[in-house]
Amino acid sequence: MLRIRGVHRRFGDVHALRGVSFDVAAGSMVALVGRSGSGKTTLLNVVGGLDRPDEGTVEVDGVDVTGLTEDGLSRLRRERVAYVFQTFGLIPVLSAAENVGAPLRLARTPAADREKRVSMLLELVGLAGHADQKPGELSGGQQQRVAIARALAASPRLLIADEPTGQLDAETGRSVMALLRAVVESEGVTALVSTHDPVMMALADRVIRISDGQVDG
Amino acid sequence: MMPDLRTGLHWAGIRGRARADAGPLLLSALVVLLVSVLAGAVPGLMEQTADAAVRDAVRRAGPEADITVTARWEPDDTPDGRARFPRLAEDVDALRDRALDELGPKLSGMLRPPVASVISPTLKITDGNAPRTLRLAYLSGEGGPEVQWVAGAAPAPTVDGTTEVRWFGPPWRVQVGLSEEAADLLGVRAGALLKVVDAERNPKNVQVSGIFRAVDPADPTWAQAPWLLDPAAGADGLGTTRFGGLLSAESLPDARLAFAQDDMRRTVTFTPDPNTLTWASAREVAATTVTLQARSASSSSIDTTSTWHTSLDSVLQRAGEQVDSASTQAAVLLTGILAGAVLVLLLAADLLVRRRSATLVLARQRGASLTALGVELLLESALTAFAAAGAGCLGAYLIAGGVAWPWVVPVLVAAVAAVPAYGVVMAASATRDRKVPANRSARRWARHTGALRRAAAETTVLAAAIGAVVALRQRGLGSGVPVIAPTLTAVAGAILLVRLMPLLTGPALRWTLRSRRPLAVFGAARAASTSGRALPVIALVTSAALATFALVTASTVDRGLAGGAQEAVGADVRVDLVDDAAASTVEAAERIAAAPGVTAVVTGQVTDAARIIADGKIAPARLVIVDSRAFADLLGDPAVRPVDGPRALVRSSSGALPSGVALEIPQQGAPAVRLTADGVAPPVGGATEVVLVDLAAGVPYSPNTIWANGPGAARAVEGLPAVFRASVAAERRDAPLVSGLLLLNWAAAVFLLVAGLLGFVLAAAAGAPGRWVTLSRLRTLGLTPRQARLVAAGELLPVAAVAAAGGPALGVLVASVTSGPLGLRLLTGQVADPALVMPWPGLVVIGAVFLCAVPVLVVAESAVRRRLRLAEVLRVGGTA
Repeated sequence: MLRIRGVHRRFGDVHALRGVSFDVAAGSMVALVGRSGSGKTTLLNVVGGLDRPDEGTVEVDGVDVTGLTEDGLSRLRRERVAYVFQTFGLIPVLSAAENVGAPLRLARTPAADREKRVSMLLELVGLAGHADQKPGELSGGQQQRVAIARALAASPRLLIADEPTGQLDAETGRSVMALLRAVVESEGVTALVSTHDPVMMALADRVIRISDGQVDG
Repeated sequence: MMPDLRTGLHWAGIRGRARADAGPLLLSALVVLLVSVLAGAVPGLMEQTADAAVRDAVRRAGPEADITVTARWEPDDTPDGRARFPRLAEDVDALRDRALDELGPKLSGMLRPPVASVISPTLKITDGNAPRTLRLAYLSGEGGPEVQWVAGAAPAPTVDGTTEVRWFGPPWRVQVGLSEEAADLLGVRAGALLKVVDAERNPKNVQVSGIFRAVDPADPTWAQAPWLLDPAAGADGLGTTRFGGLLSAESLPDARLAFAQDDMRRTVTFTPDPNTLTWASAREVAATTVTLQARSASSSSIDTTSTWHTSLDSVLQRAGEQVDSASTQAAVLLTGILAGAVLVLLLAADLLVRRRSATLVLARQRGASLTALGVELLLESALTAFAAAGAGCLGAYLIAGGVAWPWVVPVLVAAVAAVPAYGVVMAASATRDRKVPANRSARRWARHTGALRRAAAETTVLAAAIGAVVALRQRGLGSGVPVIAPTLTAVAGAILLVRLMPLLTGPALRWTLRSRRPLAVFGAARAASTSGRALPVIALVTSAALATFALVTASTVDRGLAGGAQEAVGADVRVDLVDDAAASTVEAAERIAAAPGVTAVVTGQVTDAARIIADGKIAPARLVIVDSRAFADLLGDPAVRPVDGPRALVRSSSGALPSGVALEIPQQGAPAVRLTADGVAPPVGGATEVVLVDLAAGVPYSPNTIWANGPGAARAVEGLPAVFRASVAAERRDAPLVSGLLLLNWAAAVFLLVAGLLGFVLAAAAGAPGRWVTLSRLRTLGLTPRQARLVAAGELLPVAAVAAAGGPALGVLVASVTSGPLGLRLLTGQVADPALVMPWPGLVVIGAVFLCAVPVLVVAESAVRRRLRLAEVLRVGGTA
């Protein structure tokens, strides 16, 4: 599903990634761990097509991300890759259901199918009763659940999450992690999650440690 | 670098922030500089323009502005006849000296040296067929007028010393001098007797003593009797040539004896020197002349006390009203400019503080006191603002020769205080130890408290605006309130539009959610998220509204000047002939009508201050007797309709001639003509009290006025005493006050439009980081860069649309509410308030500028943000 080979990324004198290579099997959940500044987020950006590596290749679902044009990258993000942010990134004036349905609108999914899918996803993340509430009316954990539902809306092949529990308290964070694990299994999506959380590491199928821009071990 | 331990200030931080934010700081400085120049210079320029307007008004008024003192002679009748007093010239000089004493040195200093004169009634020269008249004049100016006798000699006394002339004797001989031109035209030499008769056809014995040449024809003394030098041909429109005979001090006593006792009066004429008049001194002059007139009017009419007369006070009053109106409008425009500038400065401060929020919060968290932060920001803003204001004031001084400090202070205060105030408030609220309440009802209560505070502030502005407009409409000019009324109204309207914004963006969002356009949804969502920001909407709408107000006012004055000229003249050309010229008037009208390019000609009789009796009370008015149907066609004003039968059209600003009132027009030796006021008369000649009757109404008719329309009308009236509408309009438009105000209107419109655009740029820049985060997040959902730009445009569009549509609409509303009380008619010369004129191209430009700014801003912002990597979005906090 995900194939990374010899990826280098430099920012001036800083060598953020130094020949990172690994594979991730489809439907698995991988935790990226490492200290701050180790290169986790840079790697997620490169994998998701938000940044381009200086060297190396990244293949997502058989597509060489590094060779895509800007439009190709947009299509990749629309169809195959989804993100979950630490700070949720919801649109405040839209309801939970409308936020979840946003990627489906972009994909021009018919309204009836969209509503059906949104209902299913909200059910999946345990927010069926909060569909009409705005993000400001939801707790942090609920907002992150909406964000996860939104990320899954367009049925991506790869879910990228950068510190998804960073803004949540421990208990809420654990429930979100459990949800993430559950949806990976139910939706058959591959997840690449950067985290410091030991619980997340325990839930992951595999843990990849990044240190000084390199994969440890 | 450590902070200064004595002051607590972090100098390196101050320098670093200033370098990082050089753009917004320079922009603020530029605004302060421009406004300082404008606000600092305009009041001074207005004062100079007011001085120029007063001088211009006096120059235009001509003889109307002269101050004259008239006095009778001592009676010269004796039991058997009349006595010859040989020292009459000394009496004339004595009157001049006495008048100078009464005026006082201060007022005398503003007047040209007086000219004393004694002018006889008009005599008719009976020699020959051509109509010719003769008047005798004695002039005594400052050492003049000097003449050179080219033939004969100066007029000599008929007899020496005092003598008595018996009643019913032969006409008393009087010697006069003739100018070379007059002698040539009359064909006479020194020693010739002129064949002249008075109005009763009594012959007079006038002998030419000599032929003279003026040493200085430009000597202002001659202006009192210009026909002494140059016989005036056709000045009355009837072809009559006026001649003058110059009397000497020696022949003056004989001239008096040649006419009836009271026919010749001593007159001293003071002509104002426009160059010495100022707006301030003019008011003093007007007050003094009113006092002198009132004092002389109370004297007996049969004694020899001098009688003062002048219309200078009226001339100055009219000019004063214009100056007041123009000054108020200039102050209104300056207030608008200041408001626009202050709003831009607030937006610039908002942008600066947003850009610095992270460093300010960090400094606060590291222990910097709010005072120290405030002082650091104050130092920076004060340095920038004072430098810019100093340069602006220098510019204003160079332009106007002075600086109107009170107008500069508001913008300087805003420039100095805005950034520190915003910065301290932001740092305090970001670092204060007050959490958002966990309890939902407590959060709701806090939200309601904030909303109530905002509503109270907005209600205060609204109430102030309503109060200002009411005061303006009730009290008019000079109450002090008019200056802020339009600006306050614009700000209040902008606040209302801010309140209405959610009513626009909310339904728009709901509509897009039902649509199949994802970009519209995201754009509308962003617009709805940011529509709560009040300051950008207030700044843009206020600037657009006040720019519109300036444009509408300029257009209204511009069109009103044409309307005022039409009211003053009544047609393309008006010919004013002397009274009792009925036959010549008709003949001249026929000649004009026959000329090529003349499309319409109407004759009429215009009598000023005619004695009209309305409901038993005397109501002086301009009486116009005319073929009302032809006159209505000529005017082309649908409001003026023909009148027939015993009815009259009336116009009365005093209310003395209401519609429906019974009118009587008294006739000599005949019953009064009775009419009923019915319909509105046009302001013939710019008069405010007019009674217009049809020829068929039965009022005796002796035409003295011709109105003509058509491209050939101007040529057709050559040689006649004509007034041209185009000339009147051009003169009024070129008058210093009007042209200066129109220029200020245009400058204000341009400045406010630029200020509005700057405000838009600043508001967009302030919201750019948040917008970038949102767009980046949306791009992670699959939006292309182009789609992201469309969403950005969707976010900016509502504010631009409200400014583009709401601003001009509000500006028109402000103009319609305030233009009447601001007294535009005083500038346009119209009788009634001019109708508002919509400058559609200008309004379209104002709207288009804001709308066109949206794509430009989006593209520019996209270019700037391109340097930021999309990857950074994963690390940025906040909601989309």
